[in-house]
Amino acid sequence: QDDHKLSTSDLEEKYGTSITKGLSSARAAEILARDGLNSLTPPKATPEIVKFLKQMVGGFSILLWIGAVFSWISSGIQIAQGAESPFDNLYLGVVLALVVILTGIFAYYQEAKSTNIMASFSKMIPQQALVIRDAEKKELPADQLVVGDIVEIKGGDRIPADIRLIFTQGCKVDNSSLTGESEPQSRSCDFTHENPLETRNIAFYSTTCVEGTATGIVINTGDRTIIGRIASLASGVGNEKTPIAIEIEHFVYLVAGVAISIGVLFFIISVSLRYMILDSIIFLIGIIVANVPEGLLATVTVSLSLTAKRMAKKNCLVKNLEAVETLGSTSIICSDKTGTLTQNRMTVAHLWFDNQIYSADTSEDQTTQPFDQSSPSWTALSKIVTLCNRAEFRPGQENLPIMKRVVVGDASETALLKFAEVILGDVMNIRARNKKVAEIPFNSTNKFQLSIHETDDPNDKRFLLVMKGAPERILERCSTIMINGKEEPLDSEKAEAFQTAYMELGGMGERVLGFCHLYLPEDEFPDTYPFDTDSMNFPTSNLCFVGLLSMIDPPRSTVPDAVSKCRSAGIKVIMVTGDHPITAKAIAKSVGIISATSETVEDIAKRLNVPVEQVNRREATAAVVNGMELKDMSLEQLDEILCNHSEIVFARTSPQQKLVIVEGCQRQGAVVAVTGDGVNDSPALKKADIGIAMGIAGSDAAKNAADMVLLDDNFASIVTGVEEGRLIFDNLKKTIAYTLTKNIAELCPFLIYIIASIPMPIGTITILFIDLGTDIIPSVALAYEKAESDIMNRRPRNKKTDRLVNEQLAVYSYLQIGIMQSVGAFVTYFTVYAEQGFLPSTLLGVRVNWESNAINDFEDSYGQEWTKYQRRYLQWTGYTAFFVSITIQQVADLIIRKTRRNSIFQQGLFRNKVIWVGIFSQIGIALILTYGLGHVTALNFTPLRFQYWFVAVPFAILIWVYDEVRKLLIRRYPGSWWDKNMYY
Amino acid sequence: MATLNEKKTCSERMENFRRFVWNPETRLFMGRTLINWVWISLYYVAFYVVMSGLFALSIYSLMRTVNPYEPDYQDQLKSPGVTLRPDVYGDRGLQIYYNVSDNKTWEGLVTTLRTFLTAYTPAAQHLNINCTSDTYFIQDTFDGPNKTKLSCKFTSDMLQNCSGITDPTFGFPEGKPCFIIKMNRIIKFFPGNGTAPRVDCTYADDESRSLEVDYYPVNGTFNLHYFPYYGKKAQPSYSNPLVAVKFLNITRNVELKIVCKIIGAGITFDNVHDPYEGKVGFKLKIED
Repeated sequence: QDDHKLSTSDLEEKYGTSITKGLSSARAAEILARDGLNSLTPPKATPEIVKFLKQMVGGFSILLWIGAVFSWISSGIQIAQGAESPFDNLYLGVVLALVVILTGIFAYYQEAKSTNIMASFSKMIPQQALVIRDAEKKELPADQLVVGDIVEIKGGDRIPADIRLIFTQGCKVDNSSLTGESEPQSRSCDFTHENPLETRNIAFYSTTCVEGTATGIVINTGDRTIIGRIASLASGVGNEKTPIAIEIEHFVYLVAGVAISIGVLFFIISVSLRYMILDSIIFLIGIIVANVPEGLLATVTVSLSLTAKRMAKKNCLVKNLEAVETLGSTSIICSDKTGTLTQNRMTVAHLWFDNQIYSADTSEDQTTQPFDQSSPSWTALSKIVTLCNRAEFRPGQENLPIMKRVVVGDASETALLKFAEVILGDVMNIRARNKKVAEIPFNSTNKFQLSIHETDDPNDKRFLLVMKGAPERILERCSTIMINGKEEPLDSEKAEAFQTAYMELGGMGERVLGFCHLYLPEDEFPDTYPFDTDSMNFPTSNLCFVGLLSMIDPPRSTVPDAVSKCRSAGIKVIMVTGDHPITAKAIAKSVGIISATSETVEDIAKRLNVPVEQVNRREATAAVVNGMELKDMSLEQLDEILCNHSEIVFARTSPQQKLVIVEGCQRQGAVVAVTGDGVNDSPALKKADIGIAMGIAGSDAAKNAADMVLLDDNFASIVTGVEEGRLIFDNLKKTIAYTLTKNIAELCPFLIYIIASIPMPIGTITILFIDLGTDIIPSVALAYEKAESDIMNRRPRNKKTDRLVNEQLAVYSYLQIGIMQSVGAFVTYFTVYAEQGFLPSTLLGVRVNWESNAINDFEDSYGQEWTKYQRRYLQWTGYTAFFVSITIQQVADLIIRKTRRNSIFQQGLFRNKVIWVGIFSQIGIALILTYGLGHVTALNFTPLRFQYWFVAVPFAILIWVYDEVRKLLIRRYPGSWWDKNMYY
Repeated sequence: MATLNEKKTCSERMENFRRFVWNPETRLFMGRTLINWVWISLYYVAFYVVMSGLFALSIYSLMRTVNPYEPDYQDQLKSPGVTLRPDVYGDRGLQIYYNVSDNKTWEGLVTTLRTFLTAYTPAAQHLNINCTSDTYFIQDTFDGPNKTKLSCKFTSDMLQNCSGITDPTFGFPEGKPCFIIKMNRIIKFFPGNGTAPRVDCTYADDESRSLEVDYYPVNGTFNLHYFPYYGKKAQPSYSNPLVAVKFLNITRNVELKIVCKIIGAGITFDNVHDPYEGKVGFKLKIED
C-alpha cells in the first residue's frame, strides 16, 4: 500500500496499464473475475431459511407447536385404543401447525417486503464512471471498475474507487464522509505524506470531487478500499432488540405465562376431578389455544408496516419496522447541522451599507428581497456583487426557479450570484454588458478578488475596478466610503461604524465579505490600456468602500417549528457539528435549539463581566462545547454537561466524538436518535438507538448502518416520525387490549366446562376462527386511529416504566371487559340450549353422558330423547352462538378501544373510517361462517337462528357504557385511585 | 441500533421477584400497598357480585320466557333416534357377542333387558290408562290429575314371547335372542302420518337376504295411540312404546351386521352423519 509513493511509470508497470490507453477490455475482464465487483459487500445477511425458521418458532409459535404435538400424541393414543373418532385431534394438530406456519410465512413475508424497500432504495442510482479502456473513453457502471483502470473525474462526481491521481486541475475533494473534515481538500499529483490517508495524491472511494478535474489509476476496489475496510468494521457492531421488540417480548412472556399457568392449573384440577389424562391434555390444548392471541403478532407487524408506509410518504424511510416505534420513544436527538437543520446552501443573510444593516430573506424559495433598494449605494454594491464574481449558472435552466438552478462556482459566489439574480434579474446579461478586461482570482495570500470592467454606460469611458474579500483587508485598501451614493472620506468614526457592523455580523456566525470599487480615471487608463494582473499596473489601494454582505447557511424554514415541537414533546435536541462554534451557536439560536432567553457560561461571564471560571455552571442552561474541549474531557465531565444543560451544541466535533456523545446520552438512560451522513458516522449510527441517515447527502455506508433514512434530509421529518412513532405505540396498546379481551371469553368456556361439566360451549377450531378471522381486520384498523390528545405535548415514554402491556391493561381487559364478554356469551349459550330443550339446570354435570357415544336416548328437560349426533349438532349450534356473541361484543370492544381516556364522542365515531371497515368485515366474516359454511361439518358451524345474534347486544351496550363511565371518571379525577387502576 | 441486553443472573431474578412480593422500603406487597390491595379487592368483589347478578337476572328472565311444557324449537329433532336393548357398545357402535354355551356371556344381556322392562310392569304403569283406539291420542286439554295429560299404558306382556314372562332368558341360550327397539320421544311428533310405524330388521350389507324375525307386538308396529308425546311436565308417567324383535335363524359363529329401521312417514333413516336416526344398526355374533 505505498502506491502514493510510486512514480507514474512504476504504477503503469505495477498494474500493467497505460496512462493513455488504459487497460484492454480483456485484461479488465480478467481482473474483474479475480477481484470481483467494485462495490461494498453488504453486511452479511442472515440466510433466508434461518429468518424463516426464526419466524416459525418465535413468539407464541412454540406454545402452538406444543399444542399441535399434544394433539397428535393424544390422537395417536386414541388410534391405538381404537376410539370412535380418533381423527378430530389429528385435524386439530394439523390446524394448529398450519396456523403457526401461515402466520410465520406472513411475518416472514412482511419482513422481506420491508427489507426489499431498502434494497430497492440503494439500487436507485447506479453510479457511472468515465474510464479509459482500449484507448477509448467509456462510461461504465462504477462496479465494473478494476485495479489499473484509468478514470477521469470532474467536479460533482463521486470518486468511484480508491484512485492514485496522475493528473489534476484545481481538484478538490470533500473527504468529510471519511475523515469528518468539512472543508474541501485540494488534490494534486504530488506525494506529500507518508500516510496514504494524508497524502494529496490519493482520492478515496465514495468521497466526492467538489471542483476541478483529475485523472487517476484505480489502486483499490470494493471492500479493499479504505472505506470498504471501515464499513466492514462498522457492520460488526451487533444489531439487537429495539424497545418495541422488548415490549412485545414482555407481552409474549406475560400471555404465555398466563396461558401456561392456567393450563397447568386446570390440568391438575381436571386430573384431580378424575378426568382421564388424555382428556386433560385435550383441555390443556384448548386452554392454550384460547389464551394465545394467534393473530396478534401478525397484526402488530401489519400496523408497524402501515406506519412505516405512512412515514415513507413523509420522507422517513424505515429500514427496520420496529424502528418506527423507537423513534416515538426517542428522548434525545443528536442532529447534524449542515443540510439537516440548515438548507446546506450559503445564502446572503445581511447587508451593510449607508451605515445600516439590512437583513435579507433567507427562506428556501425567495423570489424578491424586501430590503430598501433605493439607495445609490445599493446600486453600486449590486454592481460589485454582480461583476466581481466568477460563478455562473449552468446553461439550460431558465425555467427553473433561481434557487434550484445549478451553479458552477464555490459556495459564497453561488450565494452572491443567486442573490443578485433574484434582485437584478439576468446577471449574465449585465456581465456581458460590462465586459471584463482583467481579473485576479481569490487566493489565500491576498484574500481578495478583483476584476476590471468596461462600464455599460456608453458615455462613460472609465473602467470600473471592483473588489471583494475579507472585510478588514478590503478596508485597508480604502480611503473613502460611500454613504448614500456619495464618497466620503473614511475617518475613524466611520471605521468604527464598520467595525461594529463587522463584529455584529460575524457574531451571528455569518461569513462576511467586504466590497469596494474604484472608477479608474479615463485619462490615466484609456480604452487600450494593457492591464496586467501579474505586475498589477493599476491601483489597488485608496479605493471606495461600498458595503458588507454576510452569508450563512440558513436554517430550513420548517426547522424552528420542529425544534419547538421537540421541546414540548420533551425531546432534547443536541446539535453536533463540525462547524465553528460561533456559526453553530448562531444557527442553534435561530432554530431554537438554544432558546432566546438562555445563556451559556460564556454569555453569563460576559454579561457579569467576570472570568468564565467564576460563573456557576448550573446557572447556564445552554452550553456550546468545542470538540477540542471534548477531547480532554473525562466521561464524568461529559455526563455532567449532558445532565446539567438542557440546550447543548457540540461544535468542531469529529465523527468519532459523535460516538462518545451518543454513548454519553445513553448513559443518562435516554433513547437516542442520531443523524449522520458520512461513512465514519456509521459507528455512531449503529450505536444509537435509532440511527438516521440522510437520503440525499448520506453515504451508502451511513444508510446501511442506519435504521431510518430521511429522504429529504430535513430535521422536521424526524419530528413527524416521532409523532407517528408515539401514535403507533398508543395504537398498539389499543390493539393489544382489544385482542386480549376476547381471550377470556374464549378461556372461560374451558374452565366452566371442566368445573361444571356442561356441554362444551366453544370449540378450539371456532376460537381460531375468531383469533385469525373476525378479529384481524378490526385490530389492524385500530392502527389508523388518530391521537387522542396532542401526543407531542407529553414526555417521551420511560422505557423502564411505561410498558406497552402494563398491569392495568391486562387486568382491565382480562378481568373486567373479558368477564363481561364471557357473561354475555354464556347467556347466549344458555339461551340456545334452553330454547332447544336443555334448561340450564339440566346442563350442569351432564358432560360424561352428553359426550358418551353409547347413549342415544339422552333425555332433555322436556323428556325428549336425543341421539349422540343430535346432541353434537346442538353443541355446534352452541359453538356458533358463542362465537357470534363474542363477535358482537368484540364490536363494542373495538369501539371502546378507540380511546383510552377521551369519550368516544370526543374522538368521533366516524373519523376513523377503517374502524367501520373492521366492524363490517367482522360481522361479514361471521355471517359467512355461520350461513355460508354452516353446512361444512368439519368447521363446526351451523346456520344459527337469527335472533341469537342479538342476545349479547345488551352486554355489548353494557361494555360500552361501562367503559364510558371509566373514561369519564378518569377525566374527572386525574391522579385518583380510579385513574391509577383503570387507565392503561 | 443499540443492543439493549439486560441479561440477569438467576439469583438477581429471584431477588427481584422477592422484592416484588414484599418490598420493605416502600412497603409494597406485590407492587401495591396493603390498603391498596384491600381497595382493589373490594372493587373486584363488587364488580363480580354485580356481574353475577346480571347473569342471574338474564338466566331468570330466560327461564321466564321459555315454555314449561315444550321447547321453543326442535331444530335437531326432525326425526326420532332409535335405540336397542341390550345396548353393549364396542369400538364401532353396538356389538352384541355371546356364547350360548357360556351363560356368563349372556347373563349380563338378559339382566339389561330385565332391568329395562321393570319400567313396563303393570305396577309401574298403573297411572296410565288403557288405550284401544288405533289413532293418534290427541289431547288439547289437561285431562289428567294435577294439570297433566293422560298417557297410554304399555306393559311388557305386550311383547309376548319377548316379554321375559314366558321366557326369562329372552331366548338367548337357544340362540334366538330377543332385542327391544325403542323410538326416541319427540314432543308433538306424529309418526307415520296416520299409519302406525313399524320396525323392519334386515341384514345391513345385503337387504335381499331374508332374516327370519318375529316382531312383537304383531307386525312390529308402534301403536298410534302412544303419539303424540306432550312432554315430561304434561305426561309425567309416559313410557315409550316398544317393539321386540326375535331373531330366529342366526348363523352361528359369524359376525352379522343387522339394521332395524322404523318405517313410517316422517321418519328418516338416511342421515349420513347420524347412525341412530330412524334406525339402529348393530353387530351380532352368536358362538357355540
